[in-house]
Amino acid sequence: MDIALRKKELVKEFSPMLLKPGKWSKIWTAILLALILCGLAAFVVQVTQGQEVTGMRDNVVWGIYTINFIFFLCLSYSGAFASGVLHFFNTPWKNAVSRIVEIITVVSLIVGPIFIILCMARLDRLHYLFIYPRIQSPITWDVIAITTDLIGCLLYLYLTFIPDFAILRDNSEGLPKWRKKLYTSLAIGYRDTPSQRRRLHKITKIMSAMVIALAIVTYSVLAWIFSLTLQPGWNSTIFAPYFIVAGLYSGVGVIIIAMYLIRKYFNLDHYIRKAHFLSAGVILLITALLYGYFTFSEYFARWFSHKTHDANLLDTLFNDYFWMFIFANYIGILVPLAIVFFKKLRSIKNITFAAVIAVVGLWFNRYLIVVPTQETPYLPIQDTRPEFIHYSATWVEWALSFAGVATFVLFFMLLMRLVPIIPMSGVIDYEKKGKVRRNGLTQQQQS
Amino acid sequence: MKFNLFTYIIYVLLFGLFLAPNVMAQEVNLRDYRMRFRFKTVKQPDQSRMLEASFIATNKKDRKDRLPVYGAEITFFNLLEEEKVSLGTTKTSKEGIARIILPKDQSYLKDEEGKVTLKAVFEGTDEMDMEEREITIKDVQLSVELAEKDSVQTVQVNAHTLDSLGVEIPLKEADVIISVQGMLSRMVMDEGTIEDGIYEFKMPIDLPGDVDGNMTVFAIIEDHDDYGDVVQKKTVKWEVPNISSLENENSLWSEVAPIWMYVVLTILLVGIWANFVYTITNLLKIKKEGQQLERSP
Repeated sequence: MDIALRKKELVKEFSPMLLKPGKWSKIWTAILLALILCGLAAFVVQVTQGQEVTGMRDNVVWGIYTINFIFFLCLSYSGAFASGVLHFFNTPWKNAVSRIVEIITVVSLIVGPIFIILCMARLDRLHYLFIYPRIQSPITWDVIAITTDLIGCLLYLYLTFIPDFAILRDNSEGLPKWRKKLYTSLAIGYRDTPSQRRRLHKITKIMSAMVIALAIVTYSVLAWIFSLTLQPGWNSTIFAPYFIVAGLYSGVGVIIIAMYLIRKYFNLDHYIRKAHFLSAGVILLITALLYGYFTFSEYFARWFSHKTHDANLLDTLFNDYFWMFIFANYIGILVPLAIVFFKKLRSIKNITFAAVIAVVGLWFNRYLIVVPTQETPYLPIQDTRPEFIHYSATWVEWALSFAGVATFVLFFMLLMRLVPIIPMSGVIDYEKKGKVRRNGLTQQQQS
Repeated sequence: MKFNLFTYIIYVLLFGLFLAPNVMAQEVNLRDYRMRFRFKTVKQPDQSRMLEASFIATNKKDRKDRLPVYGAEITFFNLLEEEKVSLGTTKTSKEGIARIILPKDQSYLKDEEGKVTLKAVFEGTDEMDMEEREITIKDVQLSVELAEKDSVQTVQVNAHTLDSLGVEIPLKEADVIISVQGMLSRMVMDEGTIEDGIYEFKMPIDLPGDVDGNMTVFAIIEDHDDYGDVVQKKTVKWEVPNISSLENENSLWSEVAPIWMYVVLTILLVGIWANFVYTITNLLKIKKEGQQLERSP
């Protein structure tokens, strides 16, 4: 196999993805930019007029910003987990999804913490977190954990990108100058020599194990922010593993959705095949079962012990949030389970539909964890008003939330324009190992 | 017949529907029950007197099956020969208890021995027979003295009755229980007999009291044929103060974090950051090798 020729073929194959944005890509970018601009306007309103423009009040001090923060962090966690496992165990089908999950990991870890900053009324005191940290506070642990995790994930993402940067540098005919320079500097002189390859493989493997551990620690710390308080609905010993399982469930869902969209938009049917969806579907099935088990354990224990405040909380969940509760904890678990369980239903579209249901269900689950608990506090607040007790998000919060999602998608699209979504080095490694018998055919032609 | 999953589900649902909770409900037949109507009186520490009637139906075949009679109207009387004075009427609670409290200055009809006859009456209904119980008691003056005699904490119980002229007559013999008030119930310290109106008991010195070291001592004559139930109590500052920690020592709420937390965090962060440094060092080595390759022909 002529590796140099094969590299050229792959660069040629993926160049349109990197260089020529299509009509829909431009429209999408415009929509996303518009959403981000709306979010910026909402941010200006919030900073100038204060947190009063949000739905957060004396009782409910954490609203959908916090929910989005948890949601994006759980995406990052599950992406890191999946990516780490794929690399560490050198999974045969990692080429189809590894880059998607790596990008999800880093982008969501950048977008997520922005939401927690939006929660703060006194942004001018943000630096106090670093100047006067309380080591015994879970908030401080969270700041340390997220910062460390972000650096670790960025480093890991970069390691996985280096071989592709080198391929793009060496096959940069027809690329703009700035791209050539960028690839040359980012490739840091990587020539795929045996010693460079061995060294890169070693540190990538160590980092892949590290990001799994980092993700578990970071997400556990996030769960402890809730569970170390005595609030009904939060004070639970299984909250950290529950968060991790729930994060994995929604993360797998987002990965499936991303796989579906990328496959459809870039016509990558030959790289992202049905087998990949089926494998991801099996993981979705397992995580759905685990998530259902944890959810049942959590609510069953609260219902059975029937402590006054837990009973009040369950009463609120089953009355004020009935449909959300049903969607998050019944439909969000049972529908994906049913779709993936029955062989006849296991089509690409159905698995993607199951993933959408899982992701929406998990977002509602986060809402049910964060908001109703604060609406049923231990102590009544003096001279409080009904609008202070019951939370509903305002346009400012929704605009910033959609802006966050738009930023996530835009960053994702930008990174896809930097390196191919299918790692070229991975494809070559796969073919070199003889796992695909090539007789001068490309992987595309074989499929 | 071919069974499949849906057939099983339908069978389970139908079974569930038929097994409604009211299937298990049973009609109570009063003929199967024996009525237990009891009456007692307790002279309380504040010298008031409690009259208490309990009305419980017990299954003739199964003694564990006990049903309190709820809402039965009970009237209490004070009797002397043909004379009958109503003391009050009340209904039984969900536990089958009817209770009234008579003040300490309540006047009673007494015979020449100073004995008081009390009666509780349930008039009966169409389904239930009339029930009545009568007890005759003599009023006892019970007092508790708590004193240190020769550095020994001593409980002295004095008991006497009064004759028609108001002369104190010590009790010849009556069993008495000495107990102290605990958090949930009274703890029995000693059981003895009052002789010639006096009983003494040496109290242990290591009992925990309340936060101030106070302890409440009870002297109780229980279910006596002549005197009924008599309770007297007194509080004294004798015991070891039982001061519970007012502040929960949660180390995470303290000013300074515990040392183990610093140690664990340091180990974790050093371990992770050492790995980051190791990775960057290797990247620099890759870069250096790349530069050497570029320079070499």
